[in-house]
Amino acid sequence: MTDTPQDLPEGASKRLAELEHGLFTSDLSVNEFLLIKEVGFHPLGFVMGSSIYHTGIQTRKWGQSQELTKLTEAMYNARELAMTRMEEEAAELGADGVVGVRLDVNYYEWGKDAAEFIAVGTAVKADNGVSHRNKLGKPFTSDLSGQDFWTLMQTGHIPQGLVMGTCVYHIAHRGIGQTLGSAGQNVELPNFTQALYEARELAMTRMQDEANQLGASGIVGVRLEEKSHQWGSHTIEFLSLGTAVVKTSGEVTLPAPTTIISLDN
Amino acid sequence: MDDVPGDLPEAAARRFSEGAFTSGLTVPDFAACLQMGLEPAGYVQGFCVMKWGSWQFYPGAGAYGGYGPSVGSTHGGYSESWQCPHGFVSAEHRVWGQNYEQPWVEEAWANGFTSAYERLIEEASALGAHGIVGLVDTSAPLGDLGVLEFRVQGTAVKVRDGPPPADGRPWTTYLAGQRLAKLIEAGYMPVSIAATVASVRVWASCITAYLTEGTNPGWTSQAVGAEIEQTARAQMAVRRIARERVRSQLGGDSLHGASMGTRERELGEGDADLECILRGNRVRRFKEFDPMPAPRPTVRLS
Repeated sequence: MTDTPQDLPEGASKRLAELEHGLFTSDLSVNEFLLIKEVGFHPLGFVMGSSIYHTGIQTRKWGQSQELTKLTEAMYNARELAMTRMEEEAAELGADGVVGVRLDVNYYEWGKDAAEFIAVGTAVKADNGVSHRNKLGKPFTSDLSGQDFWTLMQTGHIPQGLVMGTCVYHIAHRGIGQTLGSAGQNVELPNFTQALYEARELAMTRMQDEANQLGASGIVGVRLEEKSHQWGSHTIEFLSLGTAVVKTSGEVTLPAPTTIISLDN
Repeated sequence: MDDVPGDLPEAAARRFSEGAFTSGLTVPDFAACLQMGLEPAGYVQGFCVMKWGSWQFYPGAGAYGGYGPSVGSTHGGYSESWQCPHGFVSAEHRVWGQNYEQPWVEEAWANGFTSAYERLIEEASALGAHGIVGLVDTSAPLGDLGVLEFRVQGTAVKVRDGPPPADGRPWTTYLAGQRLAKLIEAGYMPVSIAATVASVRVWASCITAYLTEGTNPGWTSQAVGAEIEQTARAQMAVRRIARERVRSQLGGDSLHGASMGTRERELGEGDADLECILRGNRVRRFKEFDPMPAPRPTVRLS
């Protein structure tokens, strides 16, 4: 416990020190626990990181669609801080990685414009002592369940990190002239299409940049989430999330599926 | 990536020129696709934002006659009308009712959907994909703008060691993973998705309005529990139009895993807007059905 990062609370160090003596905590179900053991990993402890971030405001032009870069940065940095702290807790336990990561945003009454970003997951370590840390020497993170983790390992891939990209975009209000101009018609609004398209692509590109930094060969389970948080309906955060994976062997060791018939019920 | 089509956003071109693949598949679907020899090439998407107003369009009287449907149309498509059998005129009494198809709604929907779908195909083609699996399409209002956004997203895949796609147009399917594997096992290959919408407007006649609103004044001699003929026929028509339109798109192929959803927007006094969306996978037989091994019985320990 020599290299405790400075920004972990005292309570965390104490809890983690106890975990080092063999007791583990995890939020894995029994089935997930068994599957993770089966591929040669064991859980070390439930880890988390959090960051309360003042996301501030940014002036928007009423009639213009544009990215709100300050908000984008805030949303990104806050999640990054939460993730990093969770990784630090995991590193503290000597973990190879974290599975079942969940990223949440909470708003509280007491903090206007402030949000808590929280990342939680279960730290795991390989039984055989071979390091499975990623290219940056950090524990890998992934939002995969125990079942998904097992299946992914059978396809010759190993997770490298939960990667994300975000883009906060303001969508223009339409002027009265424009609204009247197309009243009663169902026509495409190319400006809107282009703006939203661009916003989503930006989020995905940023996610891919993260994956490239990890030297990943791909990203599985990409999700594209859209939330207006507390900004009103014209400002939307586009968040893309996925697990970056790297191919360790060309071999898919998954046996051919057996057809089954369930006798339950 | 020299051949990125001109109307893809710059960020899309940038995203595709990088090495790593992205996939919207879950891990089990990812594993099943690898096992089938399909390698994910990239998560692809297409969007179209449409101005979406409400239509205040009154088509004018259809064919004239006694009470009961008289089929005929003044603007193309399905239409039938009902005359009041009561033989008196008052401001509160609806003397005439009509059901009619709204081709302008259907066309607008098709435009929005097709534009988004074509953009998805362009993205996949730019990646040199053979097909797109696990398609998801939605249409949702965007904020309070009075606009509707069509979205089509999926994972572009390449067939491992396969020749480059023949006509450059990737096949598409809503299926992914083991469900797609089972389809291929059964001897069918995906061709494309099929999706269509049918829209019918109900202008209630006096009888329909009374029956729907429960305001029967007593002299319409309609029994409780009687069918509301006009609304029932509109519901049947909207489903029939959707089915016939999809069938006309199949060109000899089969429709697999079809799902039909009907929405009714009530407009008061028996008036309503009906919408029916029909989706499915267009599939083509490519080999004889080879029975799968008999399933092994299992019992879950939970």
